[in-house]
Amino acid sequence: MGRGPYEKSGLLRETSLPPLKTVHETFEIPYPYTDVVKDGKKTRELVNDELVVNVKLWYVPFGEFEGHEVVFFEDEKKLDLKTEWVWR
Amino acid sequence: MRKAIKIGLSLFATTALWTSGALGAGGPKPAAEPKAKTIKELVARYDSSGCIECHEEINDQWANSLHSHSILGTPRTAPTIITAIEVGLKNFPYSGVKDDKDITVEHLRMCTKCHLPQLDDATDDVAREIVATIKGWQKAKKDGDDAKAEELEATIASLNINCRICHNRMAIIHKWADGYPQPDTVYGDKDGDHEDEKFPKMAKAPALGESIFCGQCHGTGPNFELAHPSQCATLYGSYLFAYTAEGGHESCQDCHMKKSGLGHDMQSYNSEVMAKMSMDVEVDGRSLFWRKNSAEGVIPMGIINVELTNKAGHTIPDG
Repeated sequence: MGRGPYEKSGLLRETSLPPLKTVHETFEIPYPYTDVVKDGKKTRELVNDELVVNVKLWYVPFGEFEGHEVVFFEDEKKLDLKTEWVWR
Repeated sequence: MRKAIKIGLSLFATTALWTSGALGAGGPKPAAEPKAKTIKELVARYDSSGCIECHEEINDQWANSLHSHSILGTPRTAPTIITAIEVGLKNFPYSGVKDDKDITVEHLRMCTKCHLPQLDDATDDVAREIVATIKGWQKAKKDGDDAKAEELEATIASLNINCRICHNRMAIIHKWADGYPQPDTVYGDKDGDHEDEKFPKMAKAPALGESIFCGQCHGTGPNFELAHPSQCATLYGSYLFAYTAEGGHESCQDCHMKKSGLGHDMQSYNSEVMAKMSMDVEVDGRSLFWRKNSAEGVIPMGIINVELTNKAGHTIPDG
């Protein structure tokens, strides 16, 4: 909607969630890592092989976090990367 | 061919009869009352306190809703009205507003068409009094004058969408077919006598339980009937063209009043009940090594997939 009813003349872009439809959102979160040199060879090391991701769906009625925002949904996901895979 | 025409005519006749049977209990257009000259007069004209004795629970529900303080808002509506005047009206070359004394009812209609439809029954002095009251309230808050701010806030909150607005003034939509709301009648889903001195009659309003009733304010977008149309609530437009078009068939009242159990406490995002009813959210996560490109190499990546399903009868957000 934008900046105030007195200067809005129409919807130019619709970003709301449409009724009776499922919207998919994907988030890519890199694990923390560092590039190191071991035995004269460049490699990468994971700083942490676990991620705790807090997923929140916020309703932000006035476009900013100013006290009227509401959490519609909240969930926590634990991800891990405990494999024997070696960086090359 | 003649037979086909006969069948066609017979169907038309049936439809016409059905429409005729749906007529409500409105009546001739009532004579206009003299316009209210003050906020106090306007509030007194639409006083709904007489309803409380018998409908206390409904009144308590309503009192918790934004309808009970539709000009004050959350309270962001009242300051937004002032912004529309200061940033909008006073800068528009053809609005005729350079000063607060130039403000008329027509100027406020871009807000009051929905936030205070009964302002049409008041003089321009009332429009200016509302603006002065909101400005006085803002100043009192800024000055830390709590008593004054509280008093003025109560005055602003007294301007609202109460029983009289929905169950009388706005109750009948198709006035040429169903009649104009009558000054002695309260409209709902029953016909008969009503134990009230001012409103001794009850009558059915054909659309009061339908989404179109709410659509009078929670509308279809720009208010093209105004000299300066404003892009406002699109909820009923979304209901018609996105929800019913996808096979949705529930009404605003079904979800916001009945299924929610909230009755006349009509809520939206601020209600946990409505928030839960409106959305299904599924979250899935996994991890992988992503060979991005030759420059950045392989990145250890967490992937979060979120599926959001809007179960409401309109887009989210909307108003």
